[in-house]
Amino acid sequence: MKITPIIGLEVHVELKTKTKMFCNCSATHFHIDPNTHTCPVCLGLPGALPVPNKTACEWCIKLGLALGCSANLISFFERKNYFYPDLAKGYQLTQLEKPFVINGKINIDGHDIRINRAHMEEDTGKSVHITENGQDLTLIDFNRCGVPLVEIVSEPDIISPEMARNYLLKLQQIIRYLGISDADIEKGSMRCEPTINLKIEKDGKDFYTPLVEVKNVASLTGVQNAIQFEINRQTQEFEKTGEEKSKTNKTTRGWDADKNQTFLQREKEGSSDYRYFPEPDIPHIEFSDAEIAKIKSEIPELPDQKFVRYQKDLGLNDYDVTQLLADVNFSAAFEKSIGQNPTAAFAKFNANLFLGAIKTYFNESKDDLDINRINFDYFKNLFDAVSKSEISATAAKYLIVESYQSQIDPVYIAKNEGLIQVSDTSAIENFAKQVIESNPKAVEDYKKNPASIGFLIGQLMKASGGSANPSLAKEILERLLGP
Amino acid sequence: MDFSTLTINQIRQGLLDKKFTSVEIVNFFLDRIKKIDPQIKAFITITDEFALNQANILDEKIKKGESIGKLAGSIMAVKDIYLTKDIQTTSSSQVLNGYIPQYSSTVYQRLIDEDAILIGKTNTDVFAFGASTESSGYFTTKNPWNLEMVPGGSSGGSAAAVATNLCHFALGTDTGGSIRQPSSLCSVSGLKPTYGRNSRYGITAMASSFDCPGVFGNNIEDIALVTEITAGKDIHDTTSVDNKVPSYSQNLNKVNLKGLKIGLPKEYFTGAIDPEVKEKVLAAAKEFEKQGATLVDISLPNTDLGIAVYYILIPSEISANMARYDGIRFGQAVTDATDIISYYMQTRGKFMEPEVKRRILIGTYALSSGYYDAYYTKAAKVRTIIKKEFTDALKNIDVILAPCSPTPAWKIGEKVNDPLKMYLADVYTVCINVAGVPGLALPCGLNSQNLPIGFQLIGNFFEEEKLLSLGHQFQQFTDFHTKKPQL
Amino acid sequence: MSSQKISMAELEYIAKLARINLSESEKTTFLPQLESVIEYFDILNKVDTSNIEPTFRVNDQSNVFHSDEIKESLPVDLALSTATRTKDNYFVVTATIKK
Repeated sequence: MKITPIIGLEVHVELKTKTKMFCNCSATHFHIDPNTHTCPVCLGLPGALPVPNKTACEWCIKLGLALGCSANLISFFERKNYFYPDLAKGYQLTQLEKPFVINGKINIDGHDIRINRAHMEEDTGKSVHITENGQDLTLIDFNRCGVPLVEIVSEPDIISPEMARNYLLKLQQIIRYLGISDADIEKGSMRCEPTINLKIEKDGKDFYTPLVEVKNVASLTGVQNAIQFEINRQTQEFEKTGEEKSKTNKTTRGWDADKNQTFLQREKEGSSDYRYFPEPDIPHIEFSDAEIAKIKSEIPELPDQKFVRYQKDLGLNDYDVTQLLADVNFSAAFEKSIGQNPTAAFAKFNANLFLGAIKTYFNESKDDLDINRINFDYFKNLFDAVSKSEISATAAKYLIVESYQSQIDPVYIAKNEGLIQVSDTSAIENFAKQVIESNPKAVEDYKKNPASIGFLIGQLMKASGGSANPSLAKEILERLLGP
Repeated sequence: MDFSTLTINQIRQGLLDKKFTSVEIVNFFLDRIKKIDPQIKAFITITDEFALNQANILDEKIKKGESIGKLAGSIMAVKDIYLTKDIQTTSSSQVLNGYIPQYSSTVYQRLIDEDAILIGKTNTDVFAFGASTESSGYFTTKNPWNLEMVPGGSSGGSAAAVATNLCHFALGTDTGGSIRQPSSLCSVSGLKPTYGRNSRYGITAMASSFDCPGVFGNNIEDIALVTEITAGKDIHDTTSVDNKVPSYSQNLNKVNLKGLKIGLPKEYFTGAIDPEVKEKVLAAAKEFEKQGATLVDISLPNTDLGIAVYYILIPSEISANMARYDGIRFGQAVTDATDIISYYMQTRGKFMEPEVKRRILIGTYALSSGYYDAYYTKAAKVRTIIKKEFTDALKNIDVILAPCSPTPAWKIGEKVNDPLKMYLADVYTVCINVAGVPGLALPCGLNSQNLPIGFQLIGNFFEEEKLLSLGHQFQQFTDFHTKKPQL
Repeated sequence: MSSQKISMAELEYIAKLARINLSESEKTTFLPQLESVIEYFDILNKVDTSNIEPTFRVNDQSNVFHSDEIKESLPVDLALSTATRTKDNYFVVTATIKK
């Protein structure tokens, strides 16, 4: 039996527009007091009418274009009708027949994964289920109701849990680089639902297991594990029953992260007939080719393009580039620090600082990197000083963090703190001669065991007040002391 | 002084001339309502405190010489599907019994801002679903001309209130004829503007692509003044149109009747039409002819499809618009359901009136998988045909003249058990809503049973100015609109 | 398309889809009423609409948006003022929802 997983991913991304999708309430809802960002529209009060958010629509198109999609010049909203307490109107405004963008693709590990569509819809409120005095209650907060969501649907081109993970990471990276969403899976601003089935080649024939959609995967690991679990479960199920996919046997399963398994969700009778129809309260939306071109021109350099550029133009290696591009803020700060047309040496110097001292600092600090505190001049001056051996590479790590915090030029800090190395050969020679004279025993030890030069270097460093270039010191001592 | 027969301008001028006060006017109407409304039951809520408070504030403004609104002191009644902040709004349904809205309808607010005084909320078919006001979850309004007859609907309460001068003007909505038909049955004038002329924001939605807020009055000048105020773009309603609002009340004599081409669509004068209705409406047309207009026979061949188109599309939109009534954020609810599905079913089942249920069921059916193309899409395509029929016809003629109802008012209870029969009586009004064009209803006499008959003038998109001018002039050379019921 | 009458089972399915409880007497009253209305719809079959575009909105508007500027929301008390039941500024539904 040969098993080939067939995986499609449906991703919902919360846009970080200021206002909701169909009203001017603030779209912020994380850690906000319940029901304080509502109005007649998002509360679904009688007589209220939706007015779409222009920025959200443009960002959806922008994302689609960044994914290689083409735009539907004419599109419209539709009503998806179902009942749930956190769905204020009893229908969700979404797009079915004419989404904003269609037919894109992302390449993951050399494999093209086609994007069927990306469209705009609105989020629901949040429900909390509690029991009080033996009674089951559901508490609802409508702050999130109406927040803009982009839904991105892939074709079932993904063939492994790892590929699914990488697809999500790439999607997340592009979204963050576009600046349209935080796309944080833990915080819920990016949600994923995999649909999985298997192609099973057996005895020269192909069989397809029934489709399963998995809900409630709240992390990247969860997605991977859920997909893997389903691959195993469906394989076993097929071996047991031989059931193949049909138009009516798609099921929905929930992911239990604690038990590491999926479970069949209660069938909601009649819930799948959403009775979609075009939204009569909102006129259709038309974009011209020129407007689409303008949106496209506003797409910033995306990670894949940066990857090529960092390699080719900056001469950085794959690993460094991947690390630098992992965070939007980081890579923007790095680019600011190197300015225009940097030499490969300068780029590498800065990359090392970012991936070393600066990254460590922000891993430990509660604050986020503030790009306004990154100064091209500071990096340039530091690089020049290190190139001239006036400052050691080790000191540079300390100095760059200090200069970020104090907003003082690192070379100036070095001068103040006595970190300017003396690399003047004759000056060091003088110190070396002094030290050789004053430490005859150490000289003897060295002649017997060259590895013990450390002591003499230490003495020279002391004599120079710590400012001598240690590697030069070693060189000069060795030269003076002879073989 | 009989304030009920004054026009809006006369009221306003009288206040400015200090001939009387706003409080006097309000008290007059409250007394009148006390005497007459128990017989016709036009009102769900009489807003006496609110009205007197408004009147006091207005009188203060006048005393201080401050400027007053264009409708200052005029008494308005408002169909109870318009949300009025802090004042109970029921849509004549038990679902919203006791509902105090958090905001106001744009159209209502624009009138309040011009110092119109709210005297009460009027009865309607439940959520505006109906043509007789009998489906109201509270009581049936009586036709002031014969208390055993229906006033028409759905805006029956507003029509009856204007017919008995319990207000100067009343707000209604026309989704399938709900202003024009009760106007005809009660002998008042009523304007259904072009779809999108008035904002729908803050009015309980019936059918989103059909609902038209409009106004009833006893004379065209009042209707024109009110429409000037209510019409125009509302940022809260994306279907409201940005077209400039003409000064309707300044142009009431604008249209030249000589040479005016009036189309009489043959489909509106055949079939189940009552002979006296046909006679009186054709006589009204002849009145225009006497003034120099030309009557032209035209045909709107797809008229007979209008009911089917209407009764597929509107219940479909209704079924979705009614989904928000779940008793959670507002509205009545059951408190003893166990699981969530039972909660919904029992809450909606207990408080929704039969006509509400019927329309939701029809709409859910028409939209459901397997039926969507055959019903919803099909009806939407025929809608294109009917709309084009109107715009094509109006290329060759200036206005269409037709009856609003095949019969005058009928007996209360006569049609309640046969919904299809009730729906079929909408044949002369629904196509105008399907197309989205404006219609002005005008009285044109009483039949042998002393029951009113009316007709409508139908124009092209945004031709309200033409219709109002024709209606105003008609009421200069006829006096049908001055006849009043004896109560 | 042949005339479709609804069965009682279909009516019950539609009622559940629409979340409306129907009493037995409502079911027996509504079924023939709904049947006659739905049968009436067949009149549209006589029209050839194969080359006609559907009209879902009667005016020609397009591109009506709101700009992304925050406006004041309802005060929370007002938002909750019409709720059947509230708790700690949440709306409350008294019913079991099984996941």
